[in-house]
Amino acid sequence: MIYSSLLFIYGFLPVSLLLYYITPRRHRDKTLLGLSAVFCGLFSLWYLGLMTAYTIVNFTACRIIGRNRGRALSAVPFAAAMIFDLASILIFRTKYFTGTLSSIGVPDKFFPLGISFLTLSALGTLIDVYKGKVREEKNILRFALYIMFFPKLIMGPVLRYGGFVRALENRRDGLNEMGIGFTIFVKGLAKKVIVADNLYMLYKAVNSVNTNDLSALSAWLGITAYMLSLYFVLSGFSDMGTGISYCFGLRLPQCFNYPMFSTKIRYFASRWHMQVIHWFRRYVTKPLSSFSRSRYYRRLIFIISWGTLGFWYTFRLTGAVWGLLIGAAMTAENKLSKVRLLGITGTIYTFIIIAFGTVFLAGEELSGSLKYLLAMLGGNRIFADSLSFYLLRSYSVILLIGMYASTDLFRNMLMRSGRTRLRRVFSLVSPAIVLTFTVLCTILLSYSGSSGMILLKL
Amino acid sequence: MKDKMNKVTAVIMLGFIFVFSGFMLFGEKKKASESENRKLAELPEISISSLNDGSFSQKLGEYVTDHFPARERLTALDARIEAQLSESIVNGVYVGNDMLLDIGTSEKGDMEKSAEEINKCSAAYKGAAYFVCVPTSAGVYGDTLPPYIEKNSESRQIASLYSTLGTDIRKIDAYNILKMLNDSYIFYRSDSKWTSYGAYCVYRTVIQKLGFSPTAYDKYTIDHVEDDFRGNLYHRSRYSGVKADIMDIYRCADGAGVLSCTGRDERGNVFSRSLYDRSKLDSSYKYDMYLGEPLPLVKIRTKVNNDRKLLVVTDRFGACFIPFLTQHYSEIAVVMPSEMSGSVRKMIEPDKYEQTLFLFGIDSMTDSSIFERLN
Repeated sequence: MIYSSLLFIYGFLPVSLLLYYITPRRHRDKTLLGLSAVFCGLFSLWYLGLMTAYTIVNFTACRIIGRNRGRALSAVPFAAAMIFDLASILIFRTKYFTGTLSSIGVPDKFFPLGISFLTLSALGTLIDVYKGKVREEKNILRFALYIMFFPKLIMGPVLRYGGFVRALENRRDGLNEMGIGFTIFVKGLAKKVIVADNLYMLYKAVNSVNTNDLSALSAWLGITAYMLSLYFVLSGFSDMGTGISYCFGLRLPQCFNYPMFSTKIRYFASRWHMQVIHWFRRYVTKPLSSFSRSRYYRRLIFIISWGTLGFWYTFRLTGAVWGLLIGAAMTAENKLSKVRLLGITGTIYTFIIIAFGTVFLAGEELSGSLKYLLAMLGGNRIFADSLSFYLLRSYSVILLIGMYASTDLFRNMLMRSGRTRLRRVFSLVSPAIVLTFTVLCTILLSYSGSSGMILLKL
Repeated sequence: MKDKMNKVTAVIMLGFIFVFSGFMLFGEKKKASESENRKLAELPEISISSLNDGSFSQKLGEYVTDHFPARERLTALDARIEAQLSESIVNGVYVGNDMLLDIGTSEKGDMEKSAEEINKCSAAYKGAAYFVCVPTSAGVYGDTLPPYIEKNSESRQIASLYSTLGTDIRKIDAYNILKMLNDSYIFYRSDSKWTSYGAYCVYRTVIQKLGFSPTAYDKYTIDHVEDDFRGNLYHRSRYSGVKADIMDIYRCADGAGVLSCTGRDERGNVFSRSLYDRSKLDSSYKYDMYLGEPLPLVKIRTKVNNDRKLLVVTDRFGACFIPFLTQHYSEIAVVMPSEMSGSVRKMIEPDKYEQTLFLFGIDSMTDSSIFERLN
């Protein structure tokens, strides 16, 4: 049961809101945990089992580390839990273990959605506790909620333990928060159902053509669609998650800050999947670059950790190439930071570099991605064909909508308008807008009941 | 101000969601959908195994979707919006200017296995075997499909199918006949099957190969019995922007009439059938007017006095084709293997018929399990 489904919006969500708000305040955490357990169990009992195992292993490890802080002994539970976490992501995200899994009775199509985010959270907490940066949690219920809190389960923000606890303790639940929550939720839903799903169709149409016959324009259209679709899927799901958390009074941070069409790669990188990138900086780049003070070494580590991030996205070599490319481009950019670029030139150059990178993120094999890249550069000696014009004709509206929605133009317009009438009018009509988008998304979901395309199995 | 509006948003959204869930819970539940021509999902039962593989929540999701309040209206709107928002493709159906075309089955399965089964069957058969493979509307009107969808796939598939069929089977090319006539109303706009006129055009060639001269078009009186037929592609896409279809009844005024028309199922129950069953025009799938709801076996005796017997092995494409054949044979047996679970030979003795006509739509050919029942 994914957030963008009728069962969730008109079934699970109202039931959970009802149950949450009729429970007395001091028991609300338990209600949330119970709801999360049901949410996991509805995916599959195996999922619930995995989450429980995850909680118990990491919680116990943290407790033992905490008791033996400063002693060499604490390395044992640390290593054990780390191996468990890493093993579980490897087992489910690579295809080498499918035989083993099905031999113990795991259903064939079972994939613990969100395992990649979960592993990052759990590993981060483990490292922090081991290094003594946070105190270990003594309440297992709370820790369990951190692991399987259902609004952040699928693609929600990767939070450090302290951040989650702060959000939990500073909870302000009520109608006001719920209004904000619904607004964010519907925004995410619209991103997913209206924009991402349709743009994915464009990418699929381009992808169904043999790469050797692809015209340059079609190839560019296809990769632009994939790029935007990926952004809208990831940010859509995290918006939906954040919105639901708000409904329960938990203020979780945003994951994206309008990264598309930035004027520099650096800006793109600082606005894209912020918590995840922050995680990699904190737990990969920093520790590794502390070994040497050499500038070249640090640059190398910087690029490599971007490669690791890319690999985390796809668990394929191609994903790592995406990361390496962006990392290298950023290093080069920093070196040339004195060269001044006009806004629009910067946007175009950033767009082109990221589009090149996205080719690798989208591709399954390196050779296929290289071929696609060649097609984009006009290597097939066809600039545009009937397919490109057909796609332009059919998709220009949704492409333009997607491009506009992925920029911060609208938000900036509202911000700049200050206390003027525009802002007042907008806040007056906002309930109507939210309701309209809810109806529209419900209509678009009405035939199949859910929109489960997630591009990357994270 | 902003806080107030947030509260308004919350109240409106809560109201909206709870009203819909309330209708969902307590509203009337239908068993079947007429506009989609299918049974609706039932409330799943909880069990350990269905919880284990997640099928419980999947089925619960289907139940909620199928019984969602105002589903019929919402899905019709959905089709309109989707056709506007991006490419005109809705649930695997291409919305063309004036007709719906099926592109969902572009991944055609292996037809070789089906061909082998037919070869085996005809090798054991003493009479003469004829084979017609009928393309779908998407095959004949492929030129209007988006550029990235392969256009001539059906003609090539039919050619390769014919080359794998044994030499003792006489093959009849329906594709090119229909392709040449594609200005005429040979395929329904909202169904992947041919119209009676399309069937008639192919009949003219087929009957010559079977050794008769065809009945001329002007000998028929044609009744437009229905002008609001919406076919399987409408059921799938729910797109109502294409004009509804017309269904025809062809009667040969001075031709031979039908003496009896009886159907039989595998348990031996006998049903009375007719070539055109007008009562089906009130059902959810009006195409059933042709020969009624599909049965494993339908036997037709006519007033033709020549003791010629024909066995027709077919699928739903055959239903509107059969009436034309009744002018030439005193007995026609229509077998639909797709409606059976056992073997064809349990129901009928093929060797009693001197000629056998296989008439299948290309979509049936990909399902070799249908043809395993021939042997």
